[in-house]
Amino acid sequence: MRLRALVRKEILLLLRDPHALAVLFIMPTLFLVLMAGAMSNYLQDKPPALRLELQVPQASSYSEAFRAALQVQLPNSEMVAAGDPRSSRVSLPADFAESLLNDNAAGPALGFPPQLDKLSREHLRGAVRVALAQTRLLAFLEDSGDLDAGLPLAERLALVQQRTASRIEERELLASGDLSGRANASQLSVPAWLIFGMFFVALPMAGGFQREQQSGALLRFRALGLNLGALALSKVLPYLLINLLQFALLLAIGVHGLPLIGLQGLSLPGSPGAYVLLAISLTCATCGLGLLLAALARSAEQALLLGGGINIILAALGGIMVPKSVMPAAMGQLAEISPMSWALDAFLTLLVGQGSPADIAPYCFRLLLMAALFGAGGWLLFRRRVQQTQWTTY
Amino acid sequence: MASSCWCWSVLELHNIGHRYPGADTPALQGIDLQLQAGQCLGLLGSNGAGKTTLLSLLAGVLPLQQGEIRWDGERSLGLVPQQLAFYAELKVRENLELFADLYHLRGAERARRLELCIASTRLEDKLARRAARLSGGEQRRLNFAIGLLQPARLYLFDEATVGVDAASRQLLLAAVEHLTAEGHGVIYTSHYLDEIERVAQRILLLHEGRVRLDLDSRQLLDDGHGLLLEWQSEEPAGFGELLTRLHLHSEALPNGLRIPSLDGPQLLEITRFLAERPELPRLLRFGRPSLEQLYLRLNGGRL
Repeated sequence: MRLRALVRKEILLLLRDPHALAVLFIMPTLFLVLMAGAMSNYLQDKPPALRLELQVPQASSYSEAFRAALQVQLPNSEMVAAGDPRSSRVSLPADFAESLLNDNAAGPALGFPPQLDKLSREHLRGAVRVALAQTRLLAFLEDSGDLDAGLPLAERLALVQQRTASRIEERELLASGDLSGRANASQLSVPAWLIFGMFFVALPMAGGFQREQQSGALLRFRALGLNLGALALSKVLPYLLINLLQFALLLAIGVHGLPLIGLQGLSLPGSPGAYVLLAISLTCATCGLGLLLAALARSAEQALLLGGGINIILAALGGIMVPKSVMPAAMGQLAEISPMSWALDAFLTLLVGQGSPADIAPYCFRLLLMAALFGAGGWLLFRRRVQQTQWTTY
Repeated sequence: MASSCWCWSVLELHNIGHRYPGADTPALQGIDLQLQAGQCLGLLGSNGAGKTTLLSLLAGVLPLQQGEIRWDGERSLGLVPQQLAFYAELKVRENLELFADLYHLRGAERARRLELCIASTRLEDKLARRAARLSGGEQRRLNFAIGLLQPARLYLFDEATVGVDAASRQLLLAAVEHLTAEGHGVIYTSHYLDEIERVAQRILLLHEGRVRLDLDSRQLLDDGHGLLLEWQSEEPAGFGELLTRLHLHSEALPNGLRIPSLDGPQLLEITRFLAERPELPRLLRFGRPSLEQLYLRLNGGRL
């Protein structure tokens, strides 16, 4: 009865704390949507369509072959007329046809508009290299007589493309859970900001305990001989529920909400059990941290600063704010100390690597170990703190 | 309200002592006390006298280091601390129901006690309001109600009426008197000595961790009858010699004195002497000194 009353009290207090609700639900949702949108261009599975201007000073059958080959490489791109400042330019040299077989170093010049992202530039470079190689091969085959120059251009080009096509089998090796380099914006943003938001339960959890002690309610509890285990459990249980709710809600926003605003939706491959395992492990870890913080902080303000500071550092280290794939190797290794990184790697193993519960077990084990250590330390300090609560007079 | 005669002890303390870690002197030593059912003990003492330590030991907030605390049955304690010990963001009813649950109150007993506490603190029309939005006095009343809600043999009140308006104060003091009339033990500390004078049947004065005075308050106050004199500034020259000449005994009070017994001619001599002085006394009356005056005298002028 007492535990139920205390849990109910914690839930009521949380529901009446707009700042806590904002930190737990609105902040991660906003971050999730904004960052998924912001990174959607950079971290997308398909490169964006290009606007392309092909400058040909002297038209020839090879310049036409190059144009056709390039269009095959950039199927979604738009060939535009000269003078568009937003378009990329591919300029063929005047002696393009002559130099194809004589000068291996000769090739087109590329011009990029200043706003063009790195991925699009790289994509254009690759497409030009392939188109140039195919045009050069076409010239070589015609020159050697292996290809009938009288055939239509499209047919000749198709033959060349057949000869240069190769079947490449791709196999993903899951050596590490850091798959952020392969993740798209939704696969990275949704779990990252979900994890970040879940860790923020430590703030209201610790702040509420400080207010309880400062108000004298804790003194009443002590005089009442209230079981300290029940008291600690009443702090943890509501936030376990809140964490599970955050987990479900933010994933649902990733799956169903992002497509509504034109962003790529998240798909949840693999076994639901794996997600449940991850949610429970993550929840235990965040509540362990919350209990420790509650016992360590000496005021609500201190809990806010300490908890906020710890979370932001863990997020910066753990690949939440900046994907680990763009970090230098040393930073990537340092990220391994952050529990947010363990949780994110587990998520990416499921979302990108399509892993099983067994694949994420090592990360869940680390999170549960952290929960056990922080929870045990937090419990011992919490108990001592409550026992040291004194009768205050002014 | 007159105290009834309840014959059993709610609480007995034997040779209680306590020393805080690192302190040179004990905060409490050799405290013996027996509190009867239906008795309100006014606990007095200057800062550092040991009041809070004693309350903390009774409430189980501090571990007992020395001596023995004997309860009549299980420890059963209602508490109204000086701090506003409730949840500001919960409504008044939610706070009361939370503590009713924590006190294991159920069914008809729960409903009866809730109704009684709400009525005795006049919170009926505030039940749906968040505690944070109550006035200071209303918050005190809620704090009081939560303490009263607990079924207990002994109630501790620590500066429970700080910041309360006069009407609410009367209400709360009446609730304390009601508790003692029902046979509960009460320990009441306050800097408002008129409150203690009203509710306490017994006064315990602590000084440097020891009991300096433990008396029935009526006896203490009634024994203090006599002629009370309080000076405007200082005792007029020659007054001491007058008392010697009249063979009168006097006791010093803060800014004055008390002459326990005197006859008509002696009173006339004193009145005549004072009438000839340029500065009349601020007070001259028959009666007993206030608890505050007695307290200041007994406690060496320390509040």
